[in-house]
Amino acid sequence: METRLIKKELLPGLIKGLADDTLVYAPVQEEDDVFFRVLEKDMEPLAEFGNTKNAPKNFFFPQAETMMRFMKKERGSELEGTPGDAPEAVLFGVRPCDARSFVLLDFVFNDPKYRDPYYMERREKTTIVSLACVHPPYSTCFCTSMGGHPFSPEGADVLLVDMGNDWLAECVTEKGEKLIEKLGDLPRADDEVLARKKDMAEQAASEITTKVPGKEIKPWLDENFDHPFWDTVHVGCLACGTCTYLCPTCHCFDITDETKDSEGRRVRSWDSCMYWLFTRETSGHNPRPSQKERWRQRFMHKFKYFVDNYDAIACVGCGRCVRYCPVNIDIRKIAQDIAKL
Amino acid sequence: MEKNPYVPMPVNVDKIITEVTTKDIKTFRFSFVNKEDEERFSYLPGQFAELSIFGKGESPIGIASSPTDKGYVEFTVQKAGVVTSELHSLAEGTLMGIRGPLGNTWPLDYLEGKNVVVVGGGFAFTTLRSLTNYMLSEENRPRFGKITVVYGAREPGLLLYKDELALWEKRDDIDMYVTVDKGDKDWEGREGFVPAVCKEVAPSSENAVALICGPPIMIRFTLPEFFNLGFSKENIFTSLEMRMKCGIGKCGRCNVGSKYVCKDGPVFSLAELDELTPEY
Repeated sequence: METRLIKKELLPGLIKGLADDTLVYAPVQEEDDVFFRVLEKDMEPLAEFGNTKNAPKNFFFPQAETMMRFMKKERGSELEGTPGDAPEAVLFGVRPCDARSFVLLDFVFNDPKYRDPYYMERREKTTIVSLACVHPPYSTCFCTSMGGHPFSPEGADVLLVDMGNDWLAECVTEKGEKLIEKLGDLPRADDEVLARKKDMAEQAASEITTKVPGKEIKPWLDENFDHPFWDTVHVGCLACGTCTYLCPTCHCFDITDETKDSEGRRVRSWDSCMYWLFTRETSGHNPRPSQKERWRQRFMHKFKYFVDNYDAIACVGCGRCVRYCPVNIDIRKIAQDIAKL
Repeated sequence: MEKNPYVPMPVNVDKIITEVTTKDIKTFRFSFVNKEDEERFSYLPGQFAELSIFGKGESPIGIASSPTDKGYVEFTVQKAGVVTSELHSLAEGTLMGIRGPLGNTWPLDYLEGKNVVVVGGGFAFTTLRSLTNYMLSEENRPRFGKITVVYGAREPGLLLYKDELALWEKRDDIDMYVTVDKGDKDWEGREGFVPAVCKEVAPSSENAVALICGPPIMIRFTLPEFFNLGFSKENIFTSLEMRMKCGIGKCGRCNVGSKYVCKDGPVFSLAELDELTPEY
């Protein structure tokens, strides 16, 4: 693996330089929060922050996107076209938990039988630069319990590690190597730096003290779909959907048509298993009639169904759903409570 | 260039047949505008497609024609929601779209060499009609053993495909039992509920498979009759319906346990359903 060093103070300028001829998404401070934004000329990319409020999934799977346009003609509406090619882009400043979410989303959208052209077009044209969590930022972080690590390169093309005076850049993929080449002639990291990085990685992981059972509770989930425990999980849930919207791995969507005069478009937008309409059929029948079934679905999908299908938990331990749930429903506690049953 | 699985293929509405006296169930016959789309839409009985009307949306509907019927594809649709209501108001000659074929098929390979018992109730006879026509076609008939069909509706006016049923009745290579819950003054056929007729017909479970579709109440009372006849859960199949959008296992709403009805179903054996969570 190619490893390079970038002087600490040079990084923001190099990233801004990339934005001259490439679309760059980077974390930007806005009031109290950090968001990914398209980096404009006068904007400074952040390299030191906790994590962005939103997960970066929207760059490949936007909250709303046009799938195709149509036009009313004499004999009925006809297809006018689908969106054109996506531009080459760099997604800078992704935390390792969020980078890992792309690997999980790929299972769904890069399914060999039906590749999702919208997601894949952007995914393939985007180079992902992640930032290792030298000190995991939140008490709600639990990536290490979900198969991740604060220094994991999984899902990234380049992993950057804050070594104090320098950033250590690890090229994870060929795409990542190309990007680092573009940044100019950078010195190689020596063995001392790499050894220090190894120690830092161990230290970072040890700072995450929350332990959340993941695959350990799978056997219980396999057998206990009807357990009375499920009567307790959803209590208080407002069905606001915040957890699913902020979740880096939630991928459910709706498809709707919008028309104005004789033109229209078919739109894909995020949807949520927390909403009663999600499964309600025209007949009025609803296979998941109350919030109890819907919460069980959300938890089971992440900790059992996804594991059955892809041998991975559909949770990266970013902790957003825990931090932003308005009624403090805590997915970590649900898993921990199940482990005690 | 890889085909975008969300883009519907344009079709012409060739023919619209009102199937029932209540006029809320119609069969739509489509032909493909582009010849290559017809080849791409290579399907087998049991599969479904998204019927697409730009400006209204899409609706997942089982394919009612048989792949042995060349040059067109048919869907029988009840008027219920936004898309199906629009569909019911269309005139012949309109252009719309279909996306598919989607989902799995009736277990055709498994049925080969076996006796097949087809049981349908009311409107839920569409993909079973596809299967029956498929098995009855000249090239396929020798592949299957005895074929028994029990098909029922509440009243004579609600039976689908009446002309075709009459043709099947005339054949000697299929045993037909068409029944209505209650006849009218012109009805000369059988009266009785589907479960009772199944009990009376008592098809042998020896080397046989039953395919059962109908309203939940019919299925609930029909299944015990088949268990009594010795059919195992591995040899009884049905087809599920769920709310769907993408039809290709991504949008998440037809998720039942670890399966997606759209791509892992809609056809499941009772043994497979036992493995699923009961959320359908």
